[in-house]
Amino acid sequence: MTTGPELGIFVISAVAGVIGALAGVGGGLFVVPALTSLFGVDIRLAIGASIVSVIATSSGAAAAYVRDRLTDMRVGMFLEVATTSGAIAGALLAAVVAPSLLFILLGIVLLFSAVQQVFKLREELPPVAVASPLARRLGLISSYPDARLGREVPYTAQRIPLGFLLMGFAGLVSGLLGIGSGALKVLAMDGAMRLPMKVSSATSNFMIGVTAAASAGIYLARGDVDPTIAAPVAIGVLAGATVGARLLPRLANRHVRWVFIPVLVIIGLQTLGRGLGVRL
Amino acid sequence: MNPARFRVLVSGVLIVGVVTSAILILVGFVGSIFVGWDGSFAGLPVAASRASDFSAVFSGLGALRPIAFAQLGLLVLIATPVVRVATSVLAFASERDWLYTAITLLVLGILLVSLFVIR
Repeated sequence: MTTGPELGIFVISAVAGVIGALAGVGGGLFVVPALTSLFGVDIRLAIGASIVSVIATSSGAAAAYVRDRLTDMRVGMFLEVATTSGAIAGALLAAVVAPSLLFILLGIVLLFSAVQQVFKLREELPPVAVASPLARRLGLISSYPDARLGREVPYTAQRIPLGFLLMGFAGLVSGLLGIGSGALKVLAMDGAMRLPMKVSSATSNFMIGVTAAASAGIYLARGDVDPTIAAPVAIGVLAGATVGARLLPRLANRHVRWVFIPVLVIIGLQTLGRGLGVRL
Repeated sequence: MNPARFRVLVSGVLIVGVVTSAILILVGFVGSIFVGWDGSFAGLPVAASRASDFSAVFSGLGALRPIAFAQLGLLVLIATPVVRVATSVLAFASERDWLYTAITLLVLGILLVSLFVIR
């Protein structure tokens, strides 16, 4: 065996880890197409490796984000109720629902959201809001230290029922279609709940590992996780996520969107392509 | 437990999980370059097995096979978020935050159901 392909897989996985850590998504959107098209890996094993990459991005980045108080653990735990139960419902529905229309719909939603994000490019922080009784009851009022602004930034979760519902949808989609629920999680926290972008990204990173672990058992049992492929992916992603997690605190919230929008466009096009039967 | 210690604990669980899995996977990966995935650090004969079959992980470890080290590392990686949730249950309980103890227990329950019940 030569070490050529492994080195390539490692480098691409490291890049996926950096971007995933910054944007709050797993690296699947880069890892799967790279493995299948550049390295000729079977799609089944590529998806198995991408589940590993999501968990690696999540744990690698969240270790730093939790310590740096960028992750809101209450928001994360509360919303994980919705994502994990949504993921189970999705996995069960996968047997009965024809997914191609869903892929098309989700692709359109993601691309539409990317356009919406462009209009928020100049917004550094969401407008200050009064905490609702529900937010107080659930303890979803907090603050994070912004290294870039050099101050503590207070925030409160808004439109919590909508955010919870969208998170259930994110879980459902990831269980049903097996793709990037990270992007939907960031959209729910940033768009619906109006959390600061860095908090949304760091909390999404915290959560995606749990959602992925919930389905990892199924992939392991099916024999979709091949260590000869997943090992270089895991090492690369862990290295990349560690670097990305050091970058995020120093970036402005606006700059995080510059990373997130291209990610949304890529996932949107990939998803749309799958619905239309074209593999991008 | 105050919030600062809670964060150190959760962050620590993640770091231990990530570092342990990274070391195991690296041992397997570097070993594969020298003796091959199905070879053995102990010089035992090559075993023909499916790389994605995780059921042989412990016998493989006994024979010091690189593939088994990588498999164990991946299992540790996958288990890390689950252990993190379990730790959070204890941490919220020690804070006497019963609402979040219940929420986190619910997540842990759903997670375990999806890992072990649904196939």
